[in-house]
Amino acid sequence: MTQVSDNPFEAYVRAALALQGYTFEDAEIAEIAAQFARLEGIARTVLDWPLPFASEPAPVFRP
Amino acid sequence: MIGSAADIVRQIGTGARSAASVLAETKALIHTRNPDLNCFTATTFERAAREAAAIDALQAQGKPLPPLAGVPYAVKNLFDIEGMVTLAGAKVNASNAPAAADATIVARMQRAGAVLVGALNMEELAYGFTTENPHYGTTRNPHDRTRGAGGSSGGSAAAVGAGMVPISLGSDTSGSIRVPASLCGVFGLKPTYGRLSRSGTFPFVNSFDHVGPFGASVSDLALAYDAMQGPDPQDPACAQRAVESVGTAPALPPGIRIGILGGWFHEWADPMARRAVQLAAAALSATDWTELKGAEAARAAAYIITGAESGALHRPRLVEQYGDFGPASRARLVAGSLIPSSWVVQAQRVRQAVYREALELFKRYDLLIAAAAPASAPLVGQETMEISGRSIPTKAGLGVLTQPISCIGLPVCTVPLWPGMSLPLGVQLIGAPWREDLCLGAARALEQAGVAKFRLP
Repeated sequence: MTQVSDNPFEAYVRAALALQGYTFEDAEIAEIAAQFARLEGIARTVLDWPLPFASEPAPVFRP
Repeated sequence: MIGSAADIVRQIGTGARSAASVLAETKALIHTRNPDLNCFTATTFERAAREAAAIDALQAQGKPLPPLAGVPYAVKNLFDIEGMVTLAGAKVNASNAPAAADATIVARMQRAGAVLVGALNMEELAYGFTTENPHYGTTRNPHDRTRGAGGSSGGSAAAVGAGMVPISLGSDTSGSIRVPASLCGVFGLKPTYGRLSRSGTFPFVNSFDHVGPFGASVSDLALAYDAMQGPDPQDPACAQRAVESVGTAPALPPGIRIGILGGWFHEWADPMARRAVQLAAAALSATDWTELKGAEAARAAAYIITGAESGALHRPRLVEQYGDFGPASRARLVAGSLIPSSWVVQAQRVRQAVYREALELFKRYDLLIAAAAPASAPLVGQETMEISGRSIPTKAGLGVLTQPISCIGLPVCTVPLWPGMSLPLGVQLIGAPWREDLCLGAARALEQAGVAKFRLP
């Protein structure tokens, strides 16, 4: 496989796809990388949000 | 229109109509109106005939009738219906085994006397807001066939909007009850996260999946909601709370404090959506503007958690059957399955933090108002929409005002307003956790004032 796009996340996407057991053609990888870039853009809002160390995730598990 | 659920129950009770005759009228309406709207993916008329006959037998014997006796309804095709394959709008589910039993809330509707007439179209796997399904077709808007019904519960909203059934059931992960209710001009209730059991429904995002009813009136919504309440140990997220009945005429207590949500909710509303909010606020004598801190972050958190959970859920089949998923969802699902765990954990922490912000807001207000969709129904096939000078993808962007609220699980009743000439636009009436009664009370106040109303096309 060769890297054919300038999507900055394509290398990560290719590695993560391999880790997860996917096999795709370059055109499909480019489409997935574009979707991943969109997710990353939205994730920035969350990643930069300041939280105290004591802030816990919202859980569902109820034993 | 076969009439409201409340009217049908009353008429069957007095013997003015039979459940069988109501079913016959419903079948005729579906036969006439469904072909160009594409709401139903399957009908269940044989089962409906049995359910209607059971109600007519009770009536003939002079026995008490259940609260939804003889009321026809239909369900989004992610609800299990005994003996049918649960599609969830997906080709990859079409070869699954038929459901062994009804979903919990379908069984409760049956116990309440309702008559199931079919399964309804939806966005593939509930991932999107347009119900332009690549496998089962597009559901069109009953008020303008060139426009979409919204999604993901598009069939559920359009079936009620077109007057085919007085009640339907749908699910809402990011806005999938509230958006199509808004675009099709019907009432919709997304209860508090955990209020209604999701057992026997095909999941999308466990952290956010809710189920709830659509109706042509607040009374009908309340009737269905009451029939479906109650704990269910089969759903780990279902709260073990007793039924808190709202009755058929929920009322708004005097002195209620209402805040109009500005900030994110104002920025992402077009002029018509803002007008709808103004009309609702004026009718409820609400003048106080406020903000939910972290609304944008909550939407982003929901987006990340949605991607990660839905991607993980479908990864095994994406590996094997990528081509059987629709082109609009498959790359998004795969991309979601690649999200790093640190993003997801941070998103769940943000979710909890914004929930705390909302609880602070509810110390000052009993109810919050916001538009349910950024604009009225877009055209079928319209890929982007312009809101406040920004272009957003229609399939994801229609949920920009609903996603922050479902992220933190608050109950919402969406009511249909008509701020323009012909197309409806919904307003969200948002309550504190477990205060569905206030959401429905405000909805009824708007309905009685003639501001929120159901209109047949």
